[in-house]
Amino acid sequence: MSVQMIHPKPAPKLRLKGVSKQFVAPRTGQRTLAVADFDLDVQPGEFICIVGPSGCGKSTMLNMIAGLEKSSSGTIEMDGKAISTPGADRGVMFQDYALFPWKTVRDNVGFGLRHGTAGAGMSAADQEDRINHFVEMVGLKGAENKFPHQLSGGMRQRVALARLLANGPDVLLMDEPLGALDAQTRLVLQVELLRIWGETSAKADRKTVIFITHGIDEAVFLADRVVVMSSHPGRVSAVLDVDIPRPRTEEVRLDPRFAELSEEIWSLIRDEAYRAIA
Amino acid sequence: MSMNVNVRATGGIPNWAKALTLPIILLVIWQAWAMTLPETSPAPAPLKVVQSFAELTASGELIWATIQSLGRVLAGFAIAMVAGLSLGVLMGSSRIVRENLDPIVESFRPIAPMAILPIAILWFGTGTPAALTIVAYAAFFPLLINTIHGVSRVDRQLIRAAQTMGLSRLRTVLVVIVPAAIPSVLLGSRLAMGVAWTAIIAAELAVGAKSGGGTSGGVGQMMFVFYAYSIDLNGIVVCMIVVGVIALLIDRLFRLVEHKLLPWRN
Repeated sequence: MSVQMIHPKPAPKLRLKGVSKQFVAPRTGQRTLAVADFDLDVQPGEFICIVGPSGCGKSTMLNMIAGLEKSSSGTIEMDGKAISTPGADRGVMFQDYALFPWKTVRDNVGFGLRHGTAGAGMSAADQEDRINHFVEMVGLKGAENKFPHQLSGGMRQRVALARLLANGPDVLLMDEPLGALDAQTRLVLQVELLRIWGETSAKADRKTVIFITHGIDEAVFLADRVVVMSSHPGRVSAVLDVDIPRPRTEEVRLDPRFAELSEEIWSLIRDEAYRAIA
Repeated sequence: MSMNVNVRATGGIPNWAKALTLPIILLVIWQAWAMTLPETSPAPAPLKVVQSFAELTASGELIWATIQSLGRVLAGFAIAMVAGLSLGVLMGSSRIVRENLDPIVESFRPIAPMAILPIAILWFGTGTPAALTIVAYAAFFPLLINTIHGVSRVDRQLIRAAQTMGLSRLRTVLVVIVPAAIPSVLLGSRLAMGVAWTAIIAAELAVGAKSGGGTSGGVGQMMFVFYAYSIDLNGIVVCMIVVGVIALLIDRLFRLVEHKLLPWRN
């Protein structure tokens, strides 16, 4: 009996089955199907990137996993339990960072610990230690007492990441977190994101990540698997394994396999991308 | 000798001196003109205004009147604050409440504070209660409108972020919505204090007229007495200057408070 248990197939961290989202326009009553029949199993510690043309429902999908929006049909399970409301076990990093402008860097990072469920049962001193740890991890030491408006886009993004990690969620949901940054900063932060995620440590220690992006090369660089979506309605058109070994460094971008995968994803969405601007 | 760091490259005249030059020239012209008039002329003159100011201050009249007016402004403002903030939070956070109350608020808003004076006098009599009503009415609208604005325009993404960190609804109101609305409420307070001060002077002037002086008090009533009884234009100018300076001080004070309370803005 125990012999067969040596390599058990791990239970998925997240299981999305037949998830659909329909929006009803308030006055006309017109129905729009934003997401249709979305199926995906995400393994613990897996880094998933979702790419697709704008308006394909990727953010809607992420919001449903976060519990911020309800699905119209289908089920979303985390560790076998259905999800319908937001919770600190799923941390969200928003596209525009959603930092509290009246709080300093430190207080933003500590927000969930002090006011949310993440810090429950934790002493004030432990909370402070935890805040310090993540402030240092993302390289914000020295900027703790600044307000968000005093920071560059890249630094705000770091604050959002530290706040996300300080809450200790099991699953990280990231909605185009690098989208608003300039190209150079993006490249730097992609590498750093993988370092912080724990690419060099054991897979069991890594967080499960769902990362939305419109950057194809970004998806290939970061992900274990890339989910390609098509729009109207938003559905999964392909799931690609990124078989490029970790840890990944800048040189990966020169790997022929990197170009191959990027090309493959582009071929899946190019028609729609052209149609969108025609 | 060290260099004076305040001296600008352009000619070396400090800014405050530039700002004062023209007013001083005008005052000198005014005074020169007044000196051509006969001694008995009622026309105000700068030196007579200064003399009048000194006398009114020395007798304590001016200070007492100012304290009375300011006290009414503060009391009326406090009433408006309680009403405006609570109703504003309600209207800002609930669409049903807002849609139902908005027509009523919008139909009262254009009615000038002074236009409700007759009713205020009939109901509350002359003196402080009527003056307070006018002040509270005037200050109420800027507070209400800005509170509604502040509460309803809170960045939804911040509320969502709080939800994903497991904050309860009440906690979200306390640590997200209220702090996010504070800048707007402070702006409303500053505007409200400004109109309250304008309204109190007008109310005291009018209430003073009704009662024939004596019962209402305050800077406005003082002006009325100078106007209707002693025909003292210098005294009226003193009052005008006091009203203006206090309005300016109130505005500066609120800006200072905003600056202290909101270090995260600019």
